[in-house]
Amino acid sequence: MRYLSWIYLVACFIFILLPVGVLVVFSFQDGRLPVPPFNGPTLKWYAEITSDRDLMAALFNSLLVAAISSLVALLLGFLAASGLARVVLPGSTLMRALLIAPMTVSYLIIALGLLNYFNNIGIRPSLLATGIGHVVINLPLCFAILYAAMGEHQRNALRAARDLGAKEWQVLALVSAPMLAPALGAAFFLAFTFSWDEFIIAFLLTRFDVTLPVEIWSMLRSGLSPATNAVGSLVFLVSVAVVVLLELTLFRKVGK
Amino acid sequence: MTADVSITGVRQEFGDFTALHEIDLKIEVGEFVVLLGPSGCGKTTLLSILGGFLSPTAGAVKIGGKDMAGVVPRARPTTTMFQDYALFPHMSLLDNVAFGLRMRGMSRRERNAKAREMLDMVGLADQAKRRPHELSGGQRQRVALARALAVSPDLLLLDEPLGALDLKLRRQMQDELKAIQRKVGTTFVHVTHDQEEAMAIADRIVVMNQGRIEHCGTPEEVYLTPQTLFTANFMGEINTLQVRKAGQGVDSPLGALKLEPTNGTLCLRPENVGLSGPLDLGQAVLQDMAFFGSHLRCHFRPVTAPEMILTANLPQGTRLQTGDQVHLFGNSPVLIAEEAA
Amino acid sequence: MRIEAHEKKVGVTLVAPALLWTLAFFLIPFAAMVWLSFSHMEGRDIVPGPDFGNYIKIFTDDSLFRGIVVSLEITLTVTVISVLLAWPLAWIIAMRVPKRWQRLALMLAVLPFWTSYVVRSYAWALVLGQKGVVMDFLTGIGLLAEPIQIMATRSATVIGFVHFFVMLLTLTIYANLVQLSPNYMRAAQDLGASAWQTIRLVVIPLTLPGVITGAFLTFVLCIGDYITPQILGGNNELTMPQLIMLQLGRRGDFPMASALSVVLMAIVTLAYAGCARWLRMDRV
Repeated sequence: MRYLSWIYLVACFIFILLPVGVLVVFSFQDGRLPVPPFNGPTLKWYAEITSDRDLMAALFNSLLVAAISSLVALLLGFLAASGLARVVLPGSTLMRALLIAPMTVSYLIIALGLLNYFNNIGIRPSLLATGIGHVVINLPLCFAILYAAMGEHQRNALRAARDLGAKEWQVLALVSAPMLAPALGAAFFLAFTFSWDEFIIAFLLTRFDVTLPVEIWSMLRSGLSPATNAVGSLVFLVSVAVVVLLELTLFRKVGK
Repeated sequence: MTADVSITGVRQEFGDFTALHEIDLKIEVGEFVVLLGPSGCGKTTLLSILGGFLSPTAGAVKIGGKDMAGVVPRARPTTTMFQDYALFPHMSLLDNVAFGLRMRGMSRRERNAKAREMLDMVGLADQAKRRPHELSGGQRQRVALARALAVSPDLLLLDEPLGALDLKLRRQMQDELKAIQRKVGTTFVHVTHDQEEAMAIADRIVVMNQGRIEHCGTPEEVYLTPQTLFTANFMGEINTLQVRKAGQGVDSPLGALKLEPTNGTLCLRPENVGLSGPLDLGQAVLQDMAFFGSHLRCHFRPVTAPEMILTANLPQGTRLQTGDQVHLFGNSPVLIAEEAA
Repeated sequence: MRIEAHEKKVGVTLVAPALLWTLAFFLIPFAAMVWLSFSHMEGRDIVPGPDFGNYIKIFTDDSLFRGIVVSLEITLTVTVISVLLAWPLAWIIAMRVPKRWQRLALMLAVLPFWTSYVVRSYAWALVLGQKGVVMDFLTGIGLLAEPIQIMATRSATVIGFVHFFVMLLTLTIYANLVQLSPNYMRAAQDLGASAWQTIRLVVIPLTLPGVITGAFLTFVLCIGDYITPQILGGNNELTMPQLIMLQLGRRGDFPMASALSVVLMAIVTLAYAGCARWLRMDRV
C-alpha cells in the first residue's frame, strides 16, 4: 500500500511534468526540430525570439492589456462588492447573479457575442476590444473574491469609520481597501494571470496588434520549431520565478 | 464491557519537547476518571495514547490486563468521543451509531436494532433518520456518545466533549453523562480544563501540569487538601500566605499562627475565611464588599499586614459596612511545604 | 427613513458601474447573439428571423450533430479519467506526504499551470508526435516495433485535457481533504474500520461535494475549449467549439455560430441542473 502510493505519486508527477520538461529541454535544441535526439545545448533560439520584433510587441501588448483590464475589473468589482455588502437593495440577489453570470459562460461564447456586437456598433477588432472582453471575464472573479472577503468585522469597521466622520470615498480608500489588501492582491493576481493567458477572446477581437498567446498560435501554424519551445519556456520560467518570489515574500507573511 | 487500566512509566516526546514525563496511573474497573489541567499540560496526549492514536516514546499501557503496545485503534477495546464529535455528516444518526457494529460485521437488522436502543438511551430515538447538521450541539453530543458506546467498549475516552456547549447546557450534560456512565458501567476517562466540570462528574480527578501528574484523588481531596500550590490554585480561588517555622507554630505576615511548624505556603479558600473558626487570623478592616447571590464577597486588609488583601466569602445575612474592623478566623487551612510547591 | 434612503443611494452608486459594464458588454451582446441565432444566411447576407432553421439543421445535419456527440464523449471521458487520477494523487499528497513537504508537492503537481495554455497543448504535440519522446522511448526499449499514431486523434485531445484537469482537480480535492477534521478518520478507525473501509465509507463520501464541484468545472471548461482539440485532435473529428470557429472563419456564418453557441450553453445549463443538488450541498 505504502510503496504503491509512492509509485503512483512519481508516475503522476512524470505525467504532469513531462510536457513542460520536454518543452524546456528542446528549447536548447541545436537543430531545426524539437524532437529526439537532443543536440545542443544552444541559446540561439532564445536569441532569435528576443530579436523578433512582432513577438516582443505581442509580449508588450499582453502585459498592457492584462495590467489595464485587471485594474479596471478590480476597481469595478471592489466598488460593486462594497455597495452590495453594505446595504440590502431591492433586487440585490439578482444583481449578484448578474455580476457572477459571465463566469458560467465559455470564453468562446463571450468572444463571439462581443465580436458580433462590436461589428454592429462599430468598434473595430483591437487591443481595446480585447481589453473590454477581459474585463467582462475578470469582473465576476474580482467581485466574487472581494464580496466573500467582506465579512461582518469589515462591516463594523466601516460603520465605525463613518461614525467617526469619514466621507464615503475616505471610508473606501482609507479603511476598506487596506483591510481588504490581501484579497485585492489575490484578485488582481488571478485576473492578471487569466488575461495574460487568454487566447480565444484575443484571437477573435484583435487584428493587427495581437497579444502573446495569439502570436504563439500563429507561430504554431508553421509547425514544430525550437523557437516556439523557447517562447513557451521563457513565459514558464518568468511566471515560476514570479510565483516563487511571491511565495517567499507576500504569502509567507500572510501565512504566519 | 468494562476494564481497568494501568499506565506505567509512560513518556511522550515530540522532537525536543517532552509532552509527558513518566506518567504512572491506575484506573479501576468502572471508574469515572477526569484528566484536568490547562491547555498544553499533556492531558489530551495521554488520552491519544490510550486510544492508540499515538505510540508513547516509552512506558506501557495495559487495558484489562492486556498490553496495548502496537495495537492499532481499531483493535483496541476503547472508543473515543471527539471534541468536535466527528459525526459523519453524510450518514443518518442511525447509520452513525450503527457504524462501529457494521465494521464488526453485524447484520443490518441486528445493528439497527442495537443502534435504536442506544439512541433511545440518549433520548433521540425519534430522530434516527436525521442528519447530524440538523441537530443542536447538545443533541450531536448525545449522538457521539451513543455511537461510541454502541460497540460496548471496555473503556470510553472523552476529549473535552462538553467544550463547545454553552454553560447551562454543559451543566445539564454533565449530569446526563454521569447517569449514563453509572448505567452502562464502562470505565470513562474524560479530559477537560474546567475544574467545576471535573468536580461534578469525576470519581477521581487527575490534575496535570506540564506533562506531570500534580495530584490524583477524589474531588473532595483535590479541592480541600491539594498537595501542590498548582492544584490549590487550579481548583479554585485561594488566599496564600508565606509561612516560616517558629517554635511550636509558624510565623506569617499576620503574626504567629498555631499551625504545624513548616516552611511553605498557607492556603485558605475564600469560603474558609470567616468570623469564626479554629485558626485565629487577627483583626482586619473591610475594604469593599459585593453581593454575589449565594454569598457576600469581601476584601479585608489585615491590621498587622495592611499591604495584603484577604478575600472572604461571607454568608448572605452578614451585616458589615466598609471600614468596619472585625476579627477573622480560618477553617480547613492547608499547608504546602516548600519542597512540594 | 432618510438615512436608509441615503444608504441605498450610496449602494446603488457603487454597484452601478459594474452593473452597467456587465449589461453593456455581456448581457446585451449575449441577447443579441441569441437573437441572431434565429436568423439565417442567404449568400453573404443575414436574413433576420425569427426562424428555427439553424437549430433544425444542427439536429439533422450529420456533420453538425456529430460535433455535439464528439464533444460530449470527449468531455465525459476527460471528466471521469481526471477525477479517477486526481483523487488518489490528492489523497497521497494530503495523507501520505509529510506535512512540511506538502506545499512543495502541491506546487510541483500544478507547476505546468504557469506556462501558457496554448504552449501546453503545443508541448503535448511535441511529446506525442511520431518522432516525440514517448514514441522514441517506447520503440527504444522495444515495447513498440514502430511508432503508432496518437497525434491528431481523439486520444491526443483526451491526454491534453486530462493533463490540465488532473492538476485542477488535484488542487480542489486536496483543499477539500486537508480541511476535513482528522477526527473523522480517527473516529472511523476507532470504531473498527480498516484503512480501506475508512476511505470508502468516510473519506470519499465527505469529499464528494468537492469532487462534483470540480467535475462540473472540468465539464464546463472542457466542452467550451477550442485550443486543445484544435492543436492535438486535428481535423478528423470536430468538437462544438471547432465547429463554431469553422462557421465564423470560412463562411462568416454568424447565425449558425450563434445557434451552436446557444446549444453549447444549453448543454452546460443541463449539466448544472443535473448536479445543482450537489453543488450546494451543505456540510457540517
